[in-house]
Amino acid sequence: MKSIKNIITATLFICAMFAVTSCHDKLDEDLENTIYAGQTDYTITSNMIVPLLGAYGEFQDRGWEEFPVIAVRGDDVNAGGLGDQQDFAEEDRFNYNKDYWMFNSVWQNLYKDILAATSAVEEVTAYREFASDQALADQYIGEAKVLRAYLLLNLSRVWGAIPIPTSSDPTELLQVEPSTKDEVMQFISDEMEESIPALPAVRPNERTDIRGGVTRFTALAVQALANLELKNYQGVADATSEIISSNRFTLESDYYNLFKLKGKLNNENILELQYSDFGSASGDNKAYLFAFFGPESWEPKVAGAGGGWGFYEPSLKYIKFMLSRGETTRLQTSVLFTDRGIAEIQKDPAFATLPGWVSSTTPSGDKFNNYNRAMFASGKHYLPSDQLTPGRADYGTNKNFTVIRYAEILLMHAEALTQGASGSGMTADQAVNAVRSRAGLGTLSGVTTDQVMEEKFAELAMEWGVRYYDMVRLQRYDELSYEGRNFTEAKIFLPYPQAQLDLLPALAEN
Amino acid sequence: MKRLLLMALVPILLSITAWGQTERVISGKVTSSDDGLGLPGVNVVVQGTAKGVTTDAEGSYTIQLAEGENVLVFTFVGYKTTTVDVTNKTTADVILEGDVTSLEEVVVVGYGTQREKDLTSAISTIKTDDIVRTPTGQAMQSLQGKVPGLQIVSSGQPGASPTVRVRGLGSYPRTDVVTGAPLGTESPLYVVDGMFFDNIDFLNTADIASISVLKDASAAAIYGVRAANGVILIETKTGKFKQKAQITYDGYYGVQVAQNVLKMANAEQFTNMALESGSASDIANIDAAMQRYGRSRVNPNVPDVNTDWYEEVIRTAPIQNHTLGVTGGGENTTYSIGASYFNQDGIMDMPNSFERFTMRSRIDYQANDWLKIGGNVNISNALKTGQDEVVLQNAEAWKVAYFAVPIMPVYDYENEAAYPVKYSSAELIGYRDGKNPLPIMDFNRNQTRQRRVLSNFYVKVDLLPDKLSFQTTYNLGATFQNARNVDLPYFLTNDAKNLISAIVKKNETTYNQIWDNVLTYNQEFGNHYLTVMAGASFRDESWEMLKARGEDLLTPFQEKSWYLRQANTIKTEDVDDDAARNYGMSYFGRVAYNFNDKYLLYGTMRADGTSKYQTKWGYFPSVGAGWVISEEEFMADIGALDFLKFRASWGRLGNDKITPQTGAVTQRVITTAIDGTLVTGRVKEPFGSLTWEVTEEWNVGLTARILNDRLSLDADYYVRDTEDLAIPVRTITGDTYLRSVGIVRNSGFELALNWTESFASGFSYNIGANLATLKNETRDLYGQPYIDGGTAEFQQRTRVGDPLFAFFGYETVGVYQNNAQIEADPVAVALNATTPGAIVPGDFIFKDNDGDGVITGEDRVILGSYLPKFTYGVNLGASFKNFDLAVNLMGQTGNKILNRKRGEIIWTPDGNMDADLAINRWHGEGTSNKYPSSAGLRKGWNQKMSNYFVEDGGFFRIQNVTLAYNLRGTTFGEQWPDTRIFVTAERPLTVFDYNGFNPEIPDGIDTQTYPIPAIYTVGLNVKF
Repeated sequence: MKSIKNIITATLFICAMFAVTSCHDKLDEDLENTIYAGQTDYTITSNMIVPLLGAYGEFQDRGWEEFPVIAVRGDDVNAGGLGDQQDFAEEDRFNYNKDYWMFNSVWQNLYKDILAATSAVEEVTAYREFASDQALADQYIGEAKVLRAYLLLNLSRVWGAIPIPTSSDPTELLQVEPSTKDEVMQFISDEMEESIPALPAVRPNERTDIRGGVTRFTALAVQALANLELKNYQGVADATSEIISSNRFTLESDYYNLFKLKGKLNNENILELQYSDFGSASGDNKAYLFAFFGPESWEPKVAGAGGGWGFYEPSLKYIKFMLSRGETTRLQTSVLFTDRGIAEIQKDPAFATLPGWVSSTTPSGDKFNNYNRAMFASGKHYLPSDQLTPGRADYGTNKNFTVIRYAEILLMHAEALTQGASGSGMTADQAVNAVRSRAGLGTLSGVTTDQVMEEKFAELAMEWGVRYYDMVRLQRYDELSYEGRNFTEAKIFLPYPQAQLDLLPALAEN
Repeated sequence: MKRLLLMALVPILLSITAWGQTERVISGKVTSSDDGLGLPGVNVVVQGTAKGVTTDAEGSYTIQLAEGENVLVFTFVGYKTTTVDVTNKTTADVILEGDVTSLEEVVVVGYGTQREKDLTSAISTIKTDDIVRTPTGQAMQSLQGKVPGLQIVSSGQPGASPTVRVRGLGSYPRTDVVTGAPLGTESPLYVVDGMFFDNIDFLNTADIASISVLKDASAAAIYGVRAANGVILIETKTGKFKQKAQITYDGYYGVQVAQNVLKMANAEQFTNMALESGSASDIANIDAAMQRYGRSRVNPNVPDVNTDWYEEVIRTAPIQNHTLGVTGGGENTTYSIGASYFNQDGIMDMPNSFERFTMRSRIDYQANDWLKIGGNVNISNALKTGQDEVVLQNAEAWKVAYFAVPIMPVYDYENEAAYPVKYSSAELIGYRDGKNPLPIMDFNRNQTRQRRVLSNFYVKVDLLPDKLSFQTTYNLGATFQNARNVDLPYFLTNDAKNLISAIVKKNETTYNQIWDNVLTYNQEFGNHYLTVMAGASFRDESWEMLKARGEDLLTPFQEKSWYLRQANTIKTEDVDDDAARNYGMSYFGRVAYNFNDKYLLYGTMRADGTSKYQTKWGYFPSVGAGWVISEEEFMADIGALDFLKFRASWGRLGNDKITPQTGAVTQRVITTAIDGTLVTGRVKEPFGSLTWEVTEEWNVGLTARILNDRLSLDADYYVRDTEDLAIPVRTITGDTYLRSVGIVRNSGFELALNWTESFASGFSYNIGANLATLKNETRDLYGQPYIDGGTAEFQQRTRVGDPLFAFFGYETVGVYQNNAQIEADPVAVALNATTPGAIVPGDFIFKDNDGDGVITGEDRVILGSYLPKFTYGVNLGASFKNFDLAVNLMGQTGNKILNRKRGEIIWTPDGNMDADLAINRWHGEGTSNKYPSSAGLRKGWNQKMSNYFVEDGGFFRIQNVTLAYNLRGTTFGEQWPDTRIFVTAERPLTVFDYNGFNPEIPDGIDTQTYPIPAIYTVGLNVKF
């Protein structure tokens, strides 16, 4: 009995210990549901597009607060949304609070996407070695660099000196010294120069692999924008001349619908953020949060369509400027009126009588009611309710967000030429008149820089702060000092967000 | 377990049979005051002699007494010795009182037991009586205020577990990146009958025999890498050998009543705030409200509505628990079988509840003199409704109720477009969104079903009787969780609607297995007692999840059709699955040595291997020593002192609850639209490389029993250093990742005192008090002066020398009262010079700490920590005849709460606010030096993170009052079943200054917590 017991126990014990010990190799198991970058098989070059699509994904996933922070300070637009987001209204009036959450959020998101694009550059570079089509690898790298460049451009236009990432590792950024705005712009221009040969010389909507993606002309456009900031007008003209001479782009004749569904992947677009509800009433929906721009109260033609928050109000200055010029197409497209807003315009004796078309009902039949937050809404960020996919109700959903369009290229071209640069493809007059005739205006000859800037004001209002950065660059601070504002050179850049100063003490020295 | 040991001791204590001349016979029954059952093996001795007997299996005895032998002494380990005068009696029934202070009591330690007397470490044990007094579904809740050094932060949400912290915060509290929900990485390890759990919400409190809190490293180190946050051992009830089957019913029914309901601004106060805000749209909204709902007849400038939204959303809700059990045992078998039902509705007036049904069975069988086998199964089936397990958020409705404007009614029948209910929407009077909590309560149907099985099976072999044994145990913890969220369609206004109905299903399976093999050796030679234990354990933890979302339900209002295929579209992007599988391999051992009950030595060692990190093995030793000074000759004369022991211990513990780290760059999937097609790309993720956190702890303490065991005292001082603290480091992109970069120290003093006294009249009482101090201090951040956390707007900073995650911001020193004051302040003058009108009366005066004449980031200071510096509890008990009364009090001081609800104004300023702010705002010279003006509240200057948002979080509470009546008696000669009727008031009173609903906020950031109600119950306990 005793011995049986001992044998049983001994066996049990030895088995147990042995079995337990043999579990040791389980400790080396990798984590579940994890894609180890280190295990990527870079020889499968058909996957080379995956990191690039990742960069596009991040580029098109833009927070609602970013565009307003970038774009609100011009004399074309006011904050709107009074009583809400006080510090956003203060930004519009050039009183900056470095503790304001929106500033920090915009900074973080831009950097996040800059790093995502950088990571795509690194990944595609790893595939390149094994790619049979190395030119394709170079193209992808170029595309990611263009996306990154556009984000860096915005970051530096808003804050001035910023650190330029050297790799996709966010910790490295903590060691990088900030570059001045001019250095950033030069960096962008050089990177574009380097990328241009690798990129296809087609219109974005002519691409078949990534339709609407970056092409050579996108890179040239970003290069032109960077050189414009540098006031290197010859650099601008060189880039714009090449775009114009390609003869690939045309101005969409229907200006109103350029900013609606018809504008999706339009022949005029050079860079745009693409969104889609995939044609279905429910389910997947990739959308920009246009509600920010929407009216707080409206009677949409299609009942049930959602309104918005009442921010981003076209300025009276812009409206009166346009009315004085006798503009119809561009004003009707850019500005959505409320009855309260119309009455406000008419308080000015010079505008007591308005053209008959000025109405709180849009050409598409949506009626904008009076609401407290704002008097006007941005028409370029509005999708008529009858263009929504039936069943969808979010304001502006399924609409793309245009970033750079051919009209801006033409006007940059014209400005560079009037500033003394030489170019090809079009003269300054031709470029300006192309834009004017589409807007139903007569032609000009011997255009001056001032006329070009007025044209830019009329054509590109509400779009990406173009007006603000132009006025800052040309030091026309008086234009920005409108409706009670007082702009000075000290107000050009936003202060670094406090959270970033805490993180990057090197910023404080700038 | 205790009983088993007692059974073993009985033969030793057996006394001699009766002798000498027989004069008379006396007999009777000895029962336990614990459960009223007969106590077998009680020593019955004639006082002054060695003559005695022991009670039989039923607790009965018969003893022959000689002339002059009139006093009997009843002794039994674990019970108070009782002396009975039996002069002129032939029967004497005796009830023995449990001796809770007894040092002979056996305490559960990891993988074994020890006598309390022999402990060298800090362990607090709470028994079933103290647990069941608290009406709760969460066993840990009943420990609040009872164990010094254990912080329990309650939750009002039905079914939600309280936050439990053992001796401060030794790990950085982490939240889910997406949802912000706490991950509980700083919570302790629960070991239920040998199985590891992260929470014990599946256990019925009445099924628990004891909860032991292993507080110091020496006690917890046997659990190695899981032990750094403290270990809580839970033993469920077992049967006893040779015990008649006992059928027990335990139950209560009660109501929960919202306490300290926050007073919000009423319509008039809200209107004043809006009118003074200087915001045209807010003023216009008031006008719109007056147009739509009329003007108040009392004050015609206020809309004729005054909705108290909390009144609209709060209800009185029932809570009940019923437990039925059978326990007992035969010669070789013990069993404990039972079932319970718990149901608690939430105090929010919507379907939100926690319902739980449990069944358990525990059987131990002594097969022969060397083989023992046993099995334990605990099945729990719970249903939570009204809370979102999919995105782990509480009902949004509490938050909306706070901000809902009082100038709007609940319903608005003029709103023709609204369906299916004509709720009002603030959008109709100009606000940006609906600001009505009712639709959120009505049109979300969230529920989670959680089925859990805990099970252990063991085989124990005695290799050398009473000396060497081997036990192999298989433990299983399986959880099946099915969550279902349904969003019903409704429309109020454009921004208060949900046009597309949706259903989300999320199924999770957790399957954890532990296989323990333990050898235990006891040796006794002379005055030397030695226990050696060695073991190995293999751990396999797996988790799987599958989730999908369907949109546009065909029949959204038919509950039986809430299935994915009944939706028009499956949102492919939201179809997701995930899994985790971690393995652990451990070897451990313990040596406990006792010389003559005077000198105690204790040591443990655990080697832990894990698959979670790049460092595979960690080693966790501990040592402890005790000196029972009262056993020394020179102490023998100090009569009042019965027992005095000094203890000291040191040990290392690990925490592997931190997110597993890849130690390599990984990639994340992202989708986007290209030309109207959904495409998938990948983006690289930054990575952290981590090892487990290691905590090193010193503990010194003393245990004393004074004045005939009536006064007991336990005091401990500890220093607990967590090294390799994994801290989320914020990057320029706003992402955070973990680095092992810190040392944090928790240190504190703990004291527990208990006084018990009984009088012959039948009156007895006890008074207990406990207190604990806590100092949480960041010692090192590997050279960095600080690391920032929290959000950018409400910053928290971990700075060397200060507590972890301390609130960090500006200091307000008052409010500018007039222009003269502004002109006299260089800070304001300088600011107004660059930006005219930047500072006006009614704005905060901030302290210029660096004295440079401007308010900059350099002026910010640490504003306090959410960890209480001092916690205390008082427990009072009294019993007289059939009545007994227990009162528990508790409180804490020294912690801060970030009033984030007030902070919400920086994003959305048009919501309602608490009445204190509205009434005490600055509105003219001398009106307030504490709060800014209404216009000021909306200005960035006043919205900086400052001590205005950070409030004192101290509170005092009457935790529990229980009054019970014990029915005893006979009818027609039949003994009544033991019946106890009781009434309980749980948390009837809480006193605090904080301007919120409740001062218990786990992470100190009050965005919106579920209010914690008071509970009043009546209960019944019957034993057959």
